[in-house]
Amino acid sequence: MRGLPANLVIGAVLVGLVVGIAALSLVWTPHEATQMNIRGKFGDPSAQHWLGTDQLGRDVVSQLMAAARNSMTVALIAVLLGGSIGVALGLLASALGGWVEEAVMRLADLGFAFPALLFAIMLAAVFGPSLTNAVLAISFINIPVFARITRASANQIWTRDYVMAARAAGMSRFAITRDHILPNVAAPIIVQATIEFAVAILAEAALSYLGLGAQPPASSWGRMLSEAQTLMFMAPELAIYPGLCIMIAVLGFSLLGDGLRDITDPRLVRER
Amino acid sequence: MIALEDFCVSFGQAVALRNATLSLARGARLGVVGESGSGKTMLGLSLMGMVPDAARRSGTMTVDGVEMGSASEADWQKMRARRVAMVFQEPMAALNPLRRVGDTVMEPMRLHDGLSRARAQARAVSLFEEVGIPDPAARLRQFPHELSGGQRQRVLIALALACNPALLIADEPTTALDANVALRITDLLVRLSREREMALVFISHDLGAVSRATDTLVVMYGGDMVEQGPTAQVLAAPLHPYTKGLLAARPDPARSGRDASGKRRRLPTIPGTVPPLHALPAGCRFSGRCSVEITACALQRPALRWADATQAAACHLLTGGDA
Repeated sequence: MRGLPANLVIGAVLVGLVVGIAALSLVWTPHEATQMNIRGKFGDPSAQHWLGTDQLGRDVVSQLMAAARNSMTVALIAVLLGGSIGVALGLLASALGGWVEEAVMRLADLGFAFPALLFAIMLAAVFGPSLTNAVLAISFINIPVFARITRASANQIWTRDYVMAARAAGMSRFAITRDHILPNVAAPIIVQATIEFAVAILAEAALSYLGLGAQPPASSWGRMLSEAQTLMFMAPELAIYPGLCIMIAVLGFSLLGDGLRDITDPRLVRER
Repeated sequence: MIALEDFCVSFGQAVALRNATLSLARGARLGVVGESGSGKTMLGLSLMGMVPDAARRSGTMTVDGVEMGSASEADWQKMRARRVAMVFQEPMAALNPLRRVGDTVMEPMRLHDGLSRARAQARAVSLFEEVGIPDPAARLRQFPHELSGGQRQRVLIALALACNPALLIADEPTTALDANVALRITDLLVRLSREREMALVFISHDLGAVSRATDTLVVMYGGDMVEQGPTAQVLAAPLHPYTKGLLAARPDPARSGRDASGKRRRLPTIPGTVPPLHALPAGCRFSGRCSVEITACALQRPALRWADATQAAACHLLTGGDA
C-alpha cells in the first residue's frame, strides 16, 4: 500500500467492512433481525447472541446487520438520485451559461439555505413519515451540492483547447458536454459522492432517530439509538452498538472521500 | 469560397478586428502574419464563426455565397468541419487527454456524415496515412500522452480534415514544435492544400514558414490589415513600415557577427510593443512605433492603397497608388 495516503487505505477498509456486512445481511444473519423473544430480553452476549438481545429479545447483531443494509440502500439511492439531478443541472448551467446558469445557481443557493432535517420534517408533516420520504429529502439536499461542484469543474473544462477543437469540428454543446466535459469532471464528482454518502448515512440515522425515517419493524441504526435511549441506565450497550456503527460508516466514507481527493487533485500531489 | 467584407469584431470600445476584407478561392493559400495581439487569431476564429459570445460582430461574411456574418451557432455548427476547419496552436492542449485519438478524429465523421463506427474507422486510418502517421490502425487506439508533439499535430490535422473541409485554418500550427518538425508540418499543410484543392489560411509569426507555405500574404497590426499582396512580392518589397520592420527583425547570418569597426551588430527590432486594444492610437495604429511617422499618422487613419494590381498597404507615405 506504499504511496497511497493513509486516509484512503483506512477509509477503504472501513467502507469495505460496512458494505461487506450489509451485503452479507442480504443472504445471512445469525437470527431473523425482527424476530422477538420477550422471555429472552436483555440477554447477555452468548454463543447464540454475540452481542446479546434487546428489550424485545431481538438479536442485536442481526439487527445491526440489517440496519447496515438499510442505511447503505438509503444512502446509495439518495446520492445517486440527488447526484444525477445535480450533475445534470450543473452541466446544463455550464453548457448554456447566461440566464440559465444564473437561475440554476441561485436555485442551488436556495437549496443550500434549507436545512436538510427541517426539509425532511416538512416532507414528513405533509406526506407522513416514511423511509421513501426520508430518501427524497436526502436526495433533495444533495442536488445543490452536486450542481455547484459540477458547474465549477465544467466551467474550467469549457476553456480548454480541446473543447475549442471540438467546437471547430462542428460538435454541439450537448455532444461536447457528453464526450469531453463529463469525463473530465468525473473525478471531483466521484470524490464528492463519496463524502455525500457519509452525510447521507448520518442524515438517515438522524431522521430515523426522530421517527421520520425507517418505520418499525424495519431495522435502522438511528431507530435502535432512539429506542435504547429510554433504557440508557438499564442497558447502555444497546445505544453504544448502533452509535459505533454510525461512526464507523461515516468515518469510513469521509476518509475514503478525502483520500480519493488527495490522489485525484493535482494541486495536492506535491504536498504528499 | 469564403469572403469577408469590412468585417469587424469588437469588445465594447476595444476593436479586435477592423474592416477585415479578403476573399479566398478554392485551393488558395493565404498567410497571415503579425505580432501577438495583432488580430490574427481573431481573424481565424471569425472565419470559423467562433468569436467569443461577448464580442460584437459587423460587416459581411459569405461562405459558398451564403451570408454567415450574423449566422447563429446552430448554422455554424453545420458549416464547421464540412466547409471550414481549424488546427490549433498547442497540439498538447488541443486533444482531450481522456479520449483515444481515434475516437476524437472519428467524432465529426459520425456526427456530420452519419458514418458507422467501422466506416469512420476506415476513413480515420486513411486520413492518418494521408497526414503521415505511421501504423495508423494502432495509433487510433492510443491516448494523446502516448504521442509526440509532431504526431499530435498530425492527429489534429487529421481531425480537421475529417469531413473534407474546403478551407483549413491553421492558427500558428508550428509554434509549439521543434524547427525540423515545424518544417515538415508546414510542408504537409501545403501538400494537403494542393492535393485536396483546399484553401489554407496559415496564421503564423514565422515569416520563413509563411513564405514556404503561402501564395498571398496579409500583414496585420492592431486588428487592421496593414498590407497585403503576393507573399513573395510582399516579403521582397514590403510597402508598409511595419512589414519592413518585421522583415528587418529576422535573424540573418549574413548580417550578424561584427561590423567593420569590430562592434557586435544588434538584431534590429521594432521599438515598443503592440498597445492593448483599448489604447490603440486614433489614427494609424502603428503611429508611435513607426520610424518614418509624419504628422498625419497620429490623426488620420490611412486607407488601404493599391501600389499596383496586386499589392496594397495602409500607409500615408505610400503615394501614387489608388486609394
